[in-house]
Amino acid sequence: MMRDEYLSVFIDETKEAIQNMNDILLKLEKDMEDMESINELFRILHTLKGMAGTMEFNIMMTLCHRMENLLDEIRNGRMKLTEDIVDKLFKGADILEQMLGSIVEGGSDELEDVDVEGLVHELEEFLEGKSIGRIPKDEVEKGEGKSEVEEGIPIEITDDLIHVVNEAKNKGYNSYYIRVTLKEDTQLKSARMYLVFHKIEELGGELLRTFPPVEDIEDEKFDLDVDMIVVAKQSAEELSSAVGNVTDVARVVVRPFEPEEELEKKREEERRREEVSEEEGKRVRKEERKRKKITQTVRVDIEKLDTLMNLMGELVIARSRIVETLKKYSIKEVDESLAQLSRITLDLQNIVMKIRMVPIAYVFNRFPRMVRDLAKQMNKEVDFIIKGEETELDRTFVEEIGDPLLHLLRNSIDHGIESKEERIAKGKPPKGTIVLSARHEGNNVVIEVVDDGKGIDRDKIIKSAVERGLIDETKAMMLPDDKVFELIFLPGFSTKEEVTEVSGRGVGMDVVKNVVESLNGSVSIESQKDKGTRVTIRLPLTLAIIQALLVKVRDFVYAIPIAAIDSTLKITKEDIQVVQDQEVVMIRQEVVPIIKLWDALGIPHDEEATSMNVVIIKVGNRKYGIVVDTLIGQDDIVIKSLGKLFSDVKEFSGGAVLGDGSIALILDVANLMV
Amino acid sequence: MEIGEKEVMQEFEVLSFIVGDQEMAFDVDYVEIVIDLAEITPVPKSKPMIKGIINLRGRIVPIIDLADVLGANVGDSQYESIVVIKYNDIEAGFMVGTVKGVLRASTNELESISSLERYGEKSRGLIKKGNRLVVYLDVTKIIDEIAGEG
Repeated sequence: MMRDEYLSVFIDETKEAIQNMNDILLKLEKDMEDMESINELFRILHTLKGMAGTMEFNIMMTLCHRMENLLDEIRNGRMKLTEDIVDKLFKGADILEQMLGSIVEGGSDELEDVDVEGLVHELEEFLEGKSIGRIPKDEVEKGEGKSEVEEGIPIEITDDLIHVVNEAKNKGYNSYYIRVTLKEDTQLKSARMYLVFHKIEELGGELLRTFPPVEDIEDEKFDLDVDMIVVAKQSAEELSSAVGNVTDVARVVVRPFEPEEELEKKREEERRREEVSEEEGKRVRKEERKRKKITQTVRVDIEKLDTLMNLMGELVIARSRIVETLKKYSIKEVDESLAQLSRITLDLQNIVMKIRMVPIAYVFNRFPRMVRDLAKQMNKEVDFIIKGEETELDRTFVEEIGDPLLHLLRNSIDHGIESKEERIAKGKPPKGTIVLSARHEGNNVVIEVVDDGKGIDRDKIIKSAVERGLIDETKAMMLPDDKVFELIFLPGFSTKEEVTEVSGRGVGMDVVKNVVESLNGSVSIESQKDKGTRVTIRLPLTLAIIQALLVKVRDFVYAIPIAAIDSTLKITKEDIQVVQDQEVVMIRQEVVPIIKLWDALGIPHDEEATSMNVVIIKVGNRKYGIVVDTLIGQDDIVIKSLGKLFSDVKEFSGGAVLGDGSIALILDVANLMV
Repeated sequence: MEIGEKEVMQEFEVLSFIVGDQEMAFDVDYVEIVIDLAEITPVPKSKPMIKGIINLRGRIVPIIDLADVLGANVGDSQYESIVVIKYNDIEAGFMVGTVKGVLRASTNELESISSLERYGEKSRGLIKKGNRLVVYLDVTKIIDEIAGEG
């Protein structure tokens, strides 16, 4: 079906349109007079309305239409933009987004528990409230609707028509322009319209013109409105009430039809439109230039990219094999071409990696809006600054990192930034600042959320953690600050006595930590009382490739993700003590349980040597040591899934093919020691 | 449809190989590639019939001891090849002895024999080709059984 073919395009474009709407609304909120933004918003809604209509998402279309009308009034200076209206438009953008979500999921723009009608109605009320003054006196209305006919009538006024109208006038007939609007869910629209025509003719009136033309009306090729020019002896009121009595007619507008006046109106409108379109044209051209630069792109299925990545991996391994093999023979002629092959593979590898990368703006974009809403809700004033949104990271992260970041921002607004009064009392600027930034640092992407709020209260955290039985009080008092802050990441932790609407929804910092760690990243907190808090998230550049420490047990090679490693050290047999059936070692006054990798994996192993290598692992706030035979060294490895046949094996998170073609199993350190 | 004296005869192709002292076969439709026995990396804590994994052109493929699955006892030294199959997104290799090659058979050469009961659903029957007797194995059932366990 054609519709399906365009659906993905529609979804993408609508997403972009909603994002743009939010951006513009944020701008408008700061400057309500910004005509350019109003015009742009109008244009976006107009386009969106058109697209929704084409795709037959009628509820969405109606909503867009109402918002567009409202903006039209504003941009033509008939209404003023107020905070109230901006709020409603924000709400509209939200509903549009929800509709889009529902379209993505179920293909329908119907929302079950959202009052779309309500908003449409509210928008209409704005229009009515503001438009009273400009309705012509002799216009008769039925129902609660407002007039949309002011813009001039859609019927082409030909000399022919003028002639007939004048003729009728001479014979004592009145000419009227009538707009009939049917109810929203009218069935058999053409039949209803036929009744309307019949009624008029019954009264002795005559239909001169209709818009759309009668043929289209018969084929039901019209929305809900039909415009017509009618000559009749009756007064406007009589016509209006007669037509209004026809079933399913929602609204009738009757007004005297003066051909010359209408012509003048039309010309006037034409001029206005030209002015606008010229202005718009300039901007569109400018934008097109801008857009062209961004959208010189091709959409590619992510699966294809994964395949490309796999092939790339194979190529790298094949190359190392050739190099290995040729080492034995040392053929000079081959060396040079081999070096070139190596260079090309490396370049290719880099490019394939880059293809998977997208700017973090994809995640950051939605935050200004959310921060605004939250700050407003919490009655706090916040300056939200985004830095480094062009920083690129693996596509997979973009989808995963959004919620954790939102949680951090929420925390900053809710727990971090103080109220205006409090800030003034502390001698801080009344407006709080939250900075969300991203940057590359070596092989990592670093994302930071920094606020200048009240900072994290050490005592409060200890108190709360002790209350929840997460830590022993005397022990807690001794902890350095950074260890105390780490308590926040424990599951079930919250300092907020009362759960506010904003935070405390169950998504705690432990979830933030879990998500980040599942992406092989890490998260840390720095905070100073009354100065602010800085949360730093570090992610590897891509998910598929991680840095790992390769270790050996007997002849088997295992990989441990660097992100999970605290340190490595050598111990002797004598360092191992047994506490409650658990082998432990003391590291800097800390008791760290250890486990021998061969025992954990059930590999037959001889009596251990006197000196052993231990890799200290950090899982959450717990540490433990893994004893291995040898440490081989650090390497970048490509993670591959082990597949369904190993779904019961919890000790490994995957496998990696090493340079010599052999396989190293990647240890899932969180599941190794329970 | 009328079923006449002549049964509707269907031809099919299998890849046959030796496991222990028995010739066996898989439907060729599932066979991806046959490779020489490679070095297998054991995966600790996995199911007993899974011998480990190999690196097949950069992909990690689990290797299954076919004799173990069928409840037969075959010395490791007898294995020569790995038959890699693909079914339901699962790629897996079966360790086998000598690979004989592709065999064309027809349904009237296929017999379901009660002596094969010990293979249960894992066998579709016995292919009789002159004096060759080939156990026709059902790859899908074997994979489903392994994936379903544990």
